[in-house]
Amino acid sequence: MDLSKIVTAQLIVNVAVILVVVHVILLTVAYLIYLERKISAYIQDRVGPNRVGFDFGLPILQKLTFGFGFWGLGQPLADGLKFLLKEDYTPSGVDKILFTLGPMFSIIPALMGFVILPWGGVWIMPELTLPFIGTIAGGPVLVAGANVNVGIIYMLAVASVGVYGVSLGGWASNNKYSFLGGMRATAQMISYEIPLGLALLAVLLMVGSLTPERIIGYQLEHGWLVFSQPLACVIFFIAILAEANRAPFDIAEAESELVGGYHTEYSAMRFAMYFLAEYAHMITSCGLFALIFLGGWDIAPFHNFLPLETSSVLVVLAKFGIFYSKVLVLIAFMMVIRWSLPRLRYDQIMQVAWQGVIPLALVVVVLTSVMVYFRLTDVVPMLIANAVAIAAVLWILPRLPRNEPNRKIRLAGSRFYAPDGHDIETAPTDPMALEDRPYEGSLPAH
Amino acid sequence: MPSTLAAVELNSYLPIFIILLMAVTFAVANVAGSLLIGPQRKGGNKGIAYESGMNPVGTARKRFNVRFYLIAMVFLVFDVEIIFLYPWAATFPNIDPGSPDSLVWLGRILFFLFTTVVAYVYGFRKGVFRFD
Repeated sequence: MDLSKIVTAQLIVNVAVILVVVHVILLTVAYLIYLERKISAYIQDRVGPNRVGFDFGLPILQKLTFGFGFWGLGQPLADGLKFLLKEDYTPSGVDKILFTLGPMFSIIPALMGFVILPWGGVWIMPELTLPFIGTIAGGPVLVAGANVNVGIIYMLAVASVGVYGVSLGGWASNNKYSFLGGMRATAQMISYEIPLGLALLAVLLMVGSLTPERIIGYQLEHGWLVFSQPLACVIFFIAILAEANRAPFDIAEAESELVGGYHTEYSAMRFAMYFLAEYAHMITSCGLFALIFLGGWDIAPFHNFLPLETSSVLVVLAKFGIFYSKVLVLIAFMMVIRWSLPRLRYDQIMQVAWQGVIPLALVVVVLTSVMVYFRLTDVVPMLIANAVAIAAVLWILPRLPRNEPNRKIRLAGSRFYAPDGHDIETAPTDPMALEDRPYEGSLPAH
Repeated sequence: MPSTLAAVELNSYLPIFIILLMAVTFAVANVAGSLLIGPQRKGGNKGIAYESGMNPVGTARKRFNVRFYLIAMVFLVFDVEIIFLYPWAATFPNIDPGSPDSLVWLGRILFFLFTTVVAYVYGFRKGVFRFD
């Protein structure tokens, strides 16, 4: 076997990027949980985690750090340690194999998706001499985990495998809450895959390529796609929120109705896997969003300061930093959304998907394909077309046929059930209950 | 954008296998590590499913609402359609706009999308998209 055929400059860079980015992502995930707790604390007028430093309660370390708390930055490490040291319990009655496979199926695709993101753009690599292999010719290489020409399709494919983790976990747990949560989450995730794919399609129609680096190249020339595809951008963001099971689409683990949803029965590291997967999935999908709509490593929307190809490592690192800060800003935005919007009901979520976002995404695809046919893909015509589409949809919406509310189901015992000759009571009829008065012993009304 | 970067050979998929191996190792090692390091204690009622403190009634392996099945079917229709659209989307903008081919390509795909709209309307009339 000829090693020098396989070990190319591209492969070396790929492996290096994978090794770096996996660790960066895992560390970020740990601190995202900290960030989420901090953001929720500030929104709810609390302080949030601020006690755990890096001493972990050990007297020696406490002396070394002078008892300083480090603003609670040790919290993720302590959490991780606890996940590893607590009991990983398998309840009786679960399907043992699927119960273990569930979290694995969740974390593996979540960790695989980011591979195609072109973090650092194209780097002109110098010639390199390695022991045992020989001289490796330099040249332009893509600073990404993998340089495949079907990058976007790969990402979609990998992201949709994550559904298995949720549905397997919910099914295997033999718990009704888990089961319901798993079913709901599966239905939700597959439903929102369609608007995700369609919004992506609208963008790819303008770029004409599935290669991630080409999408950035297009945005360098024509400005960021968020300006020329605002509708697709909004649809895509809604879809990635739902794909990552984030609020307001977090019925999968709705605490108030389903205890914990599909991970009710999980503990220790298998539970942590689901959490890691959720946050890693957020990073990957926000990375995809930044790549497609926010120009990847580009700084300014309509002027490119950074060259497409560079031989300087510093520029590559700067590109990486810009890309990653965009991802972090998007994630912070997702977290603010989580703590400001109420959770949607299951039927509302499905209606948003099937009667709202999917037809709208189809409209965007048709619109974009017509605009591409007439080669009117600059920012101003696309903005006008989007505005016209929004106006047309708003005009048509009240004129479309609507589903009548469901009055056919008469489950015995439910509030929809009334015996013959009786009306359905949806409000209290007792005059005592209708009267607005404080009950005995309570404070008088002021 | 140099054309050499448009990787078509199988060699460029090698990093994906590397990350697959890494992800599998990470998952298996973490689960196994927690099982090995963590304590293991048996208990009488410990294995009962947690359903908000109630004693579970029956198992969770029950029949479930057929609507989930309907969603899966409709999802298949739409997802297969999207998969067919991707190669088209990657080629269509690169066709010369003046050529008659371009109009044919646009017309065909609009017809294809129209068949999906028909399927959507059928599903809507049949009540597939009702979830209440």
